[in-house]
Amino acid sequence: MTVTNTIKKILSYTEQTVSIAPLSMFRILFGAMMLASILRFAWKGWIYKLYIKPVFYFSYYGFEWVKPLGDPGMYIIFAVMGIAALFVMLGLFYRFSAIVFFLTFTYVELIDKTNYLNHYYFVSIISFLLILLPAGNYFSMDVLRRPSKRTTHIPRLFILVLQLQLGLVYFYAGVAKLNPDWLFEAMPLRIWLPAHTDLPIIGPMMDKVWIAYFFSWFGAIYDLTIPFLLLGKKTRGFAYFCVVVFHVMTFLLFQIGMFPFIMIICTLIFFPEPFHQRMIASIQKVTGRFKRTSSTAIDKMYIFDPLVRKGLMTIILVHFTLQLLIPFRYVLYPGKLFWTEQGFRFSWRVMLMEKAGKAFFYVRDPATGRSGETMMDNDLTVNQEKMMGTQPDMILQYAHYLKKKYQAQGIANPEIRVECYVTLNGSGSRLFIDKTVDLAKQEDSFKNKNWILPFEK
Amino acid sequence: MFNKKSISIICLSLFSLLIVQCKKKSHDEDLNSGDSFDKEAMLANYADNIIFPAYTNFKYAVDSLDKTTDNFVKDPTPINLQALQVFFVKAYIRYQSVSTFELGPADGELFRSSANIFPCDTTKINSKISIGNFDLSTVSDIDAKGFPALDFLLFNSKQNSTIILSRFTTAGNAENAKKYLSTVVAELKHKSDVIYNGWSATGGNYIATFKNNLGSSVGSSLGLMINQFNLNFENLKNARVGIPLGKKSLGIIYPNKVEAFYSGQSFAMALEQIKSIEDVYLGRGANGIDGLGFEDYLIALKTEHPSGQLSDVIKAKISAIKQELLKFQGGVFSEMITQDPAQFENLYQQIFQLTVLIKVDMPSAFGVMITYEDNDGD
Repeated sequence: MTVTNTIKKILSYTEQTVSIAPLSMFRILFGAMMLASILRFAWKGWIYKLYIKPVFYFSYYGFEWVKPLGDPGMYIIFAVMGIAALFVMLGLFYRFSAIVFFLTFTYVELIDKTNYLNHYYFVSIISFLLILLPAGNYFSMDVLRRPSKRTTHIPRLFILVLQLQLGLVYFYAGVAKLNPDWLFEAMPLRIWLPAHTDLPIIGPMMDKVWIAYFFSWFGAIYDLTIPFLLLGKKTRGFAYFCVVVFHVMTFLLFQIGMFPFIMIICTLIFFPEPFHQRMIASIQKVTGRFKRTSSTAIDKMYIFDPLVRKGLMTIILVHFTLQLLIPFRYVLYPGKLFWTEQGFRFSWRVMLMEKAGKAFFYVRDPATGRSGETMMDNDLTVNQEKMMGTQPDMILQYAHYLKKKYQAQGIANPEIRVECYVTLNGSGSRLFIDKTVDLAKQEDSFKNKNWILPFEK
Repeated sequence: MFNKKSISIICLSLFSLLIVQCKKKSHDEDLNSGDSFDKEAMLANYADNIIFPAYTNFKYAVDSLDKTTDNFVKDPTPINLQALQVFFVKAYIRYQSVSTFELGPADGELFRSSANIFPCDTTKINSKISIGNFDLSTVSDIDAKGFPALDFLLFNSKQNSTIILSRFTTAGNAENAKKYLSTVVAELKHKSDVIYNGWSATGGNYIATFKNNLGSSVGSSLGLMINQFNLNFENLKNARVGIPLGKKSLGIIYPNKVEAFYSGQSFAMALEQIKSIEDVYLGRGANGIDGLGFEDYLIALKTEHPSGQLSDVIKAKISAIKQELLKFQGGVFSEMITQDPAQFENLYQQIFQLTVLIKVDMPSAFGVMITYEDNDGD
């Protein structure tokens, strides 16, 4: 049977012995990036603005129990997260630190979906995978403490897991770009690029339509092919050049924070051992220490307990099956995905649409027949209001919040309706939600939200 | 194993680029997003012809208000009161055309919330006067100062200037009242001077900073302009019209919450406000010359809206609001709301519709985020 042969081939490929150096370097660079991201986050005052100041938080469906810890709780969480990132970088109490980082980071992400970013989701996933990998067994403080932990070689599986995850992110981001708006209308880049005509050198070209098409197609092709180009020995150099150019461009053009740099760093995992050994050597030159933790004089293979191996393989298999399926859950919902956003998150749909909206909420007291706009100015941050304006599940959550608020003010059965206008990829604002539907009576679920109006061109 | 694939992929990429190039040629006419629009020139027009002249006029008006206040405090006669009232209304009207520009120096002074929080808290003002508390610096004082406080002090009795005057002459705490009046005016003057000097090329030269702060990110001049344009407009929708009409209170009207309630000048204020909004949108300067503004930028971008070109739709909507507003010329808003709030319904609806156009469609077309704080996206 060719299928079993293929599986055998793949399995034996995953078992090939390779150097641990790429994994070790990945740990160091990822930890450093995370530490930098957390410091930047704190320095910008976002801990307070996003997780302490708001009075209302848009929790994820099924995670309503995740609440922020206030002041000083949130500061402590970020401090712990930062220390964990530092420890991951140093390889100190590695596995424990990786677990702490994953938990604190994911906890913070789950507090408010206003702040959902694909790149935060990416960080959560990578930090989860890092818990499973022996990235602290080489060139680390742990090895300094306990030299017996030192490992020089690992099964290829441990590198492949990260390569596959990265490849998947790129490839799915590319698949998501294969839609008519992106390819044939150059949307939303045609809206976004002309805003950058003031950039040096490339600026004057930014409002040319062909540039928007060029960027759209280049972006799609880049995302779809880059994982393969990075794997190929001959194409790797060119591919990495593309990675740097692509992400630096996105950094210059869009407000996407640390993400471009995280990707530039993470894709180094595609490079083979000698490259990483050179990096390690140059770090050693600077620090002048840790020689013992990294020398390749005595090889030591990672010992894979069969039981652990089985468990690990199961987790990895389940993880990637989910990763492959989740982005396609949107097919279960009717309507235009970008409009309804049902099944939009957690799918590597990055920078895909220009969407803006504004929701006006109305309350009606059926007992008196009186109605009016609600006061919402003080209950949401500007950012929350903006994000809610285009996302039906958030609108519903806020409607339920308003319902409770009016009940507390003595209106027993307040009816909450919303008049929301949204523009998608330059379509012009139009009604987004059925304004006759009483949202106080609608329940959130994974079912189709039939009160979202269809998008008509 | 990857080499063949890689080569074919590279070929495919190059081939696709060729297609794109061809596409460009065939679609050029109908898809062109406009000739290069000179955003730098737009910012210069805003700074040189609209914002700085507006602050200059405002500064002069506040200077006159300050002088007449001095005269009145020294010599509280009916004639001096009348002069003060006239110059107060003039300055308040001038304020309407700077209220959009809460950026740079004005943002530093938190000008909007110190100059025009209405309705003012009359109990607070009276008690401050009676105990002689002239400190206006705390957050809780925002509704005890600025134009609304002056509106109350100078017009609190509709017909009878004798009653108004008595507060400053015969009342037991007349000295305190005069001092309070002077303090409120002095703060306005101080802030208007600071803002004027902040913009001035011979002072803080924010005018140059503004012109050079290009781009469309959160802190850029364009980003600030769009955001403040919206914030200010929402004050028209909510504070100036919606709240008095009971839009936010289940239909219970609050006629006394209109702007300039005591002087009964709400109409003049609202008209000046919408004129200023129109000027900013069109890029029309104090000299009447229509330069580059949001409208021209939208024209260059050829942004569409279901009911036509967005640039035209917004222009028409502003014009409709102005026309609707003019129906109430000569009237006193608070009285008209008490009589028949329904007559304002159409005005409110027009304002509501413009809110959507300038908050959703326009920033989206410009690629500007509606947010007052910096954050990451993806």
